[in-house]
Amino acid sequence: MEVVDRNTEELLINHYSQLLETDPLGGLRKAAREAFLKLGLPAKKAEAYKYTLIARILGKNFDFTALTEPATSWKKEACQDKFYPNDEANHLVFTNGLYNQEFSKIKSSSADLVIETIDSQSLENIADLKQNLGALTDDKQDAFAWLNLATFSQGLFLHSLKNKDNLPTYIYHFNDAPAAAVSMPRVLALVESGSRLRVYEKTFRSGEANHLTNSLVEVDVKANGELRWTKLQNQTMADYAIEGFYGIQERDSRIYTNTFTFKTALTRNNLYLSLDAENCETHMHGLYHLNQTSHVDNYTSVDHTKPNSFSNELYKGIVDEKAHAVFNGKIYVRPQAQKTNAFQSNNNIILSDDAKVNTKPQLEIWADDVKCSHGCTTGQLDEEAIFYLRSRGIAKQHAKALMLNAFASETVQEVQDEHIRAEVENLILNKLGV
Amino acid sequence: MLEIKNLHASVEGKEILKGINLTINPGEVHAIMGPNGSGKSTLASVLAGREEFEVTEGSVTYKGIDLLELAPEERAREGVFLAFQYPVEIPGVTTTNFLKTAVNQVRESRGEKPLDAVSFLKLMKEKMKLVDINQSLLSRSLNEGFSGGEKKRNEIFQMAMLEPALSILDETDSGLDIDALKIVADGVNTLKTKETATIVVTHYQRLLNYIVPDFVHVLLNGRIVKSGTKALALELEDKGYDWIKEETAAV
Repeated sequence: MEVVDRNTEELLINHYSQLLETDPLGGLRKAAREAFLKLGLPAKKAEAYKYTLIARILGKNFDFTALTEPATSWKKEACQDKFYPNDEANHLVFTNGLYNQEFSKIKSSSADLVIETIDSQSLENIADLKQNLGALTDDKQDAFAWLNLATFSQGLFLHSLKNKDNLPTYIYHFNDAPAAAVSMPRVLALVESGSRLRVYEKTFRSGEANHLTNSLVEVDVKANGELRWTKLQNQTMADYAIEGFYGIQERDSRIYTNTFTFKTALTRNNLYLSLDAENCETHMHGLYHLNQTSHVDNYTSVDHTKPNSFSNELYKGIVDEKAHAVFNGKIYVRPQAQKTNAFQSNNNIILSDDAKVNTKPQLEIWADDVKCSHGCTTGQLDEEAIFYLRSRGIAKQHAKALMLNAFASETVQEVQDEHIRAEVENLILNKLGV
Repeated sequence: MLEIKNLHASVEGKEILKGINLTINPGEVHAIMGPNGSGKSTLASVLAGREEFEVTEGSVTYKGIDLLELAPEERAREGVFLAFQYPVEIPGVTTTNFLKTAVNQVRESRGEKPLDAVSFLKLMKEKMKLVDINQSLLSRSLNEGFSGGEKKRNEIFQMAMLEPALSILDETDSGLDIDALKIVADGVNTLKTKETATIVVTHYQRLLNYIVPDFVHVLLNGRIVKSGTKALALELEDKGYDWIKEETAAV
């Protein structure tokens, strides 16, 4: 039975229709709105959402006729209490999907890193912003990216200026859900030639009701620039999220993404990277460590269009209780993209009979002189190894934890920030019960 | 120290051990020999607590306690050690980290304080000499990519670290070159005291030239059919197992 009303899309978007008139993005919003309505939420047969019946899940858990847009109940101090203890960093706050400059703490000089609200004012004044906003989502056929573009307000613009090595930047999302609510955070990051930007993203909530986040990050990394982006997704069983990340790379540039998911009702990560020049390097790491009925779907796409680039993707999963993990990894190697090196792997450990993993690597290679590999494994913990550890006096639970921790560590080591890495390590150990 | 009485064990409904009786006193070395499939490794596994074997009859008393009631880790903490025939490779867990966890969990169960990093390292350095194992091997993932000889030396190294009262060596000599065999045997002999006992499960008599047994038992079809001194091992080496099979069949 299809629970979703046919008008879900309209209900969802009409809520924001006043935006069409109020800002200089009106034209862009209008186009996005039309694209969203035309595409609609992914239908049951949509290949890209095969194992995540998103429209049905959202329809079941949200009444789109009665969505609220709560004012934030978070106080500045309460938010800042949650900041990582790092003074040499920028701490940026979103409340209910809106960038909140007042609550943020900025350390970087604007001569190194421009941090701006995306609103009508900045759109008038910053040429780069207007030119880039929405450009990356343009040819992507994902309805949620359009939805974000049509409806977001007060986005965040990060502009890492040429040859600057910037301080780490933490982005915190504080959401309120006294009643079912939706937030649409948006970030645009422009990394100029030779500069480095490191971003760490995390979410908090108040209230017990269901909350839907439809976020979108667009990044443009210029020649020899470097961007590192880590998402720490550890929420509640009332949190639903679709998180889009769209990146484009110029020559000699590097992008590193880390996506850690520990708890969520539903999280769909859409990661689209376009290596649109020579000698680009891309590393995508992910770890999902799930229990209860958490459902996580990592959908990733890497597009090699020019020669001599390198991409490496490693996602690992530990899936327990009734959790469900989905991994879909697409690699495209276009005809001109000779000498491409592209590697992908997805390894899963299933800890219970009711847990489920669907994994699907997809390689489409048109060039003939390339090195590409992919592989996925799904299995259980090696009983013989557990017995071996126990036979040396290590308790069963501890033996399992040792092994799972070792399994996960390859992805954890990728995180440069010590605060985030320590938090991730602790989350893993807590979950393992040691 | 160890008293095995009428021990029967099966795996997936198939009976492998069909009534083992064996008594081992402190200070003794017992060799268990027998052809392939006779149940030697099963006996070692049952003593260490491998869960796929089901004990259907009989008892095992170790230092006055019912060994079969204990989980594998509890047996280890009580001083039972199994040197594996095929040591398991565990990617991502270094030998050092693993042993530190093991040693400290064993200490904790005995009400002792966990060793700090410095004392642990000191202990490790001291025991490494025994089996001529080097540091770089120990900072690698446990057994991963180790040669056969390195794996077996690592087993004896672990034994040295845990200082068990009852050591069971399961086919420790299989696949070892003579030099490695001598090192392993030296390690075992050095660790031996008047309070400890050793069970050497082996297919070949060769190992017994280096680890000299007080008693030799021949296991055949799940039963100990003959016991003797080390002279029995030599006789087996000379004549094979067929004469015992015939002798047993005649009885």
